[in-house]
Amino acid sequence: MKDSINEKKARIGVFLCECGNKIASKIDLNALENHVKNDPMVTYVEINPYPCSAPGLKAVRKAVEDKKLDRIVVAGCESRIILKKFERELLDSGLEQGQIAVVNLRDHVAQASDGEPEELAVKAAKLIGSWAAGLEALTPMPRQKVEMNGPVMIVGGGIAGYSAAHELIRHQIDVRIAVDTEDIEDEIRTVHEFYPGERHYHRHLRKIMQEVMESPYVERITGCDLKKVMGPVGDYSVAFSTQYGQTQQYNASAIIAALDTHMVNQGDNYGHDGERILCHTELEEYIWLHGPLHENLVFWVNDLENDQPWAHLSARSAWNMARYIREHSGLAQLTILYNDRIQLPLSATERAKSRQMGIKWIPYDGSVRPTVLAGYITYTRRDVQIEEELNWDRLVLSPVRGIGVEVLKVAEILGYDIVEGRFLERNPQMVRPEQVGQEEKLLAGSARRPCDLQESLRQGRRAASKVVEMVEKARAGQLYAPKVIVTVDESKCTGCGLCKEICDCGGIEPVEGAGGGIPRRVDPMVCTGGGTCAAACPYNALTLQTNTFGQMEARTATLVRQLKSNEVMGFACNWGGAAAADLAGLRGLKSDPGFYLLPISCIGQLDPRVMGRAFLEGANGLLLIGCPPEQCHHSYGLDHTWSRVNVIKKLLSLCGLERERIAMAHADLNDPKHYVRIVDIFMATMERLGPIRRDTTTKERLQGLYETLQNPRMRWVLGAGLRRPREETYPGDQRNALAYDETLSDVLTEEFLRARVLNILRGAGEIVRGNIVANALGEDKSQVAQCLAGMVKEGLIHRIYKDRTPYYNIG
Amino acid sequence: MSKNSIKEKNIIGFTINGQAVEAEEGWTVLETARYNGFHIPTLCYHEAIEPSGACRLCVVEVREGDWSKVVISCMYPVKEGIEILTDSPRVHNVRRWVLEMLLAECPASKEIQALAAEYGVSSSRFASVDKENQCMLCGLCVRVCNEIVGVNAISFASRGTSKEIATPYKVPSTACVACGSCVTVCPTGAMQARLDQVRGDISQRTGHGHAH
Repeated sequence: MKDSINEKKARIGVFLCECGNKIASKIDLNALENHVKNDPMVTYVEINPYPCSAPGLKAVRKAVEDKKLDRIVVAGCESRIILKKFERELLDSGLEQGQIAVVNLRDHVAQASDGEPEELAVKAAKLIGSWAAGLEALTPMPRQKVEMNGPVMIVGGGIAGYSAAHELIRHQIDVRIAVDTEDIEDEIRTVHEFYPGERHYHRHLRKIMQEVMESPYVERITGCDLKKVMGPVGDYSVAFSTQYGQTQQYNASAIIAALDTHMVNQGDNYGHDGERILCHTELEEYIWLHGPLHENLVFWVNDLENDQPWAHLSARSAWNMARYIREHSGLAQLTILYNDRIQLPLSATERAKSRQMGIKWIPYDGSVRPTVLAGYITYTRRDVQIEEELNWDRLVLSPVRGIGVEVLKVAEILGYDIVEGRFLERNPQMVRPEQVGQEEKLLAGSARRPCDLQESLRQGRRAASKVVEMVEKARAGQLYAPKVIVTVDESKCTGCGLCKEICDCGGIEPVEGAGGGIPRRVDPMVCTGGGTCAAACPYNALTLQTNTFGQMEARTATLVRQLKSNEVMGFACNWGGAAAADLAGLRGLKSDPGFYLLPISCIGQLDPRVMGRAFLEGANGLLLIGCPPEQCHHSYGLDHTWSRVNVIKKLLSLCGLERERIAMAHADLNDPKHYVRIVDIFMATMERLGPIRRDTTTKERLQGLYETLQNPRMRWVLGAGLRRPREETYPGDQRNALAYDETLSDVLTEEFLRARVLNILRGAGEIVRGNIVANALGEDKSQVAQCLAGMVKEGLIHRIYKDRTPYYNIG
Repeated sequence: MSKNSIKEKNIIGFTINGQAVEAEEGWTVLETARYNGFHIPTLCYHEAIEPSGACRLCVVEVREGDWSKVVISCMYPVKEGIEILTDSPRVHNVRRWVLEMLLAECPASKEIQALAAEYGVSSSRFASVDKENQCMLCGLCVRVCNEIVGVNAISFASRGTSKEIATPYKVPSTACVACGSCVTVCPTGAMQARLDQVRGDISQRTGHGHAH
């Protein structure tokens, strides 16, 4: 996998932090320095009292410059917290993404056990060596610059689009807005269908619309339907279909979707007839057509009765409509009847104004449901508890809010997560902001979550200001993709789509084009670098930038080779296990000193290959510590690891080894004691099992194990069982789980044998008879013969007849 | 943070406890002292985060000419010719006062108790309002959330005696990514008990519950 850039030997510097006396008093740093010096990979070692302080950083910078170091390991404290400072401070010294590794000696070595300083120095040296090996295998990647080409596209036709466009033109950014009509008055005329009772705001809205429509930065697209959105952030291609069935393509740097809630009346409920008993939007329409009413009007805010949690919005729009009618008619009698469980969404001034205008607010006890009668509505007050009646000429009910068909279509095209009966708003991804470039397609308007007009316009402005920030950064050449992202090797990708199915961030999409077998690509600004997609790819087409499998394998192999027979390594995720380990060190909790921890940003990044490599290189056990169940920050990386561990377990038993040698655990970062317990229990298990006896048979089988894990068919079957984002059940909880698991076992048995056969043939280098293969493997002859026949049939090996006896070799 | 243009910087010479040290413009007394092996206790200071001088434990005595004063070393810039005393009687006196106040503020914090014991402070003459309190309101968690994580999930809420570390409206914040950085940096161990109030039930926010 080595690149031509990587041919030059990496120059790795190691900086050993004293951390006051927190590390220096526990670990013999001079001994450690000598150990590290003997490592051929390391160019330079230095003990530094505080590499993270200004004087320490000066020394680090000087060493980097003098020794021409291009990667450094800082052996100090939590990478989660301190790494950012090193990255920021050493950027000018030429150390970029991934070229700095921080090993937590303080919490994982110095404070974690009461060993002798020399012993701890040996342990620290092994960890440092492992990270140095990982750095050596790194292919340096310059930061990926993202450009913003073309105008910002505003789709969806929602009102928030105008405020978004308004904000963008204020910053002289080109906008393309898809609107239903170019006539502002037509647009204003229909606003009440989505935002009833906002008439007092129309003047302001009209002004915004006018400015947008007249701006030289704005291009309008009318009468088109959104059809397709392709491409990465900064370079979208948006397709619309025109009335005449043609397709029109536009490019866009960013997309803002302005989508509004759909409002419908309550159907036949409560005697609704759209005439005398009507809903807010219908009343608005009536006022447009006939002017204000001079009648006895009762607004019944009945959202709670309809299981709609938006009573405050309905109460507000009822109040606004009542106010409007009062301002235009002295004769109208206005009453608003509301469930006393809702809080009145009125300010003190508005209450005073309401009294002054003679608009009555009547709260009722929700446990006694009001009944609509001819000309009357009954209700019961909580304090009176005697049924009362209210006379009406026209009864106004709350509208029912939902997502309309049109909005749903647009949302689907844009790839929003649609859950039936829910609005489009979702929680942001639970990763650090620097892990995601930017929210991909920005959403504004009440379809996110019902809201009033002002809030909707505010959302539009907020979405636009995010785009402005991006565009301005891009113009200054400062917009970069996050550090750890997945990239696709299009020459290896077969377009199977497994990665897209299990991707939780929506960063993977097909490359534009027609037909099947289209390779995928990754949108660098959307990808969160979870990496479970890369660990699942059957064809190794996906690579996790700056944390490749080559690096992970190098780290694992280097560590494992140095471990003693009673020592064990493990991986822990930075959100769960590793964070708990940090905290355990800080709290001074002691755990088994024979445990070596390699933190990783998500446990789901671990390709089964890496786990297999550990066993191949000499590990006697492997512990994987992730987040608590259902709390994986990359959605289902945890569940995917569970599936992968299951595969390794099956393969271990095929190798004749104990399944307990690999274990999966969950640790909450806030519960360090639990972490210590996990480590101690696993270490006890490993002590019970003892080291693996590495005779020729076991070695041959472990080689087979490692190679089976790279087999596309096996990886495909494994991939099929991985939990998909938004799947509600565990993999083991599904209806076909057992059937699947049995199939997986069969496939593994078959592929394991095949991998071993291939190994024997490869090792032999010449034509070999079937019996010899079977003897070498120590397996049943007929089984091997069957396997060989199958492999010949699939073209994996060749059969040659010599004296009527079949011989086999690799083609 | 213009530490990068190191070459043009002047070397500043001064003394710490009588020993001559060299520093550069922009460095603080604390950084220089610690790098040169002088121990100064701190609680609210973390190397990855901008100093804020909240705990006042890092006080040192500065002598310049014929006057002297007690300053916080974490934010005090180095200056040519000054004399720093990290363990003078005056400094110890101030630290003991500070520790007494901290002890009264957070009687339940083991870290503060241990530090106080080092300076011979075992009880406080100030009244303790909350015997269970561990938080000394140094704001390190707030700063790490802002500077390192970049999500601003927690902040100071209320004022005066009811000031506390909280999420907006004291409901679990959806801005929180549950990285635990606040717990890791917390010098008194107070954040560990509060984290669940900040992050809420994460399982509701991962998997099928999040955006895109």
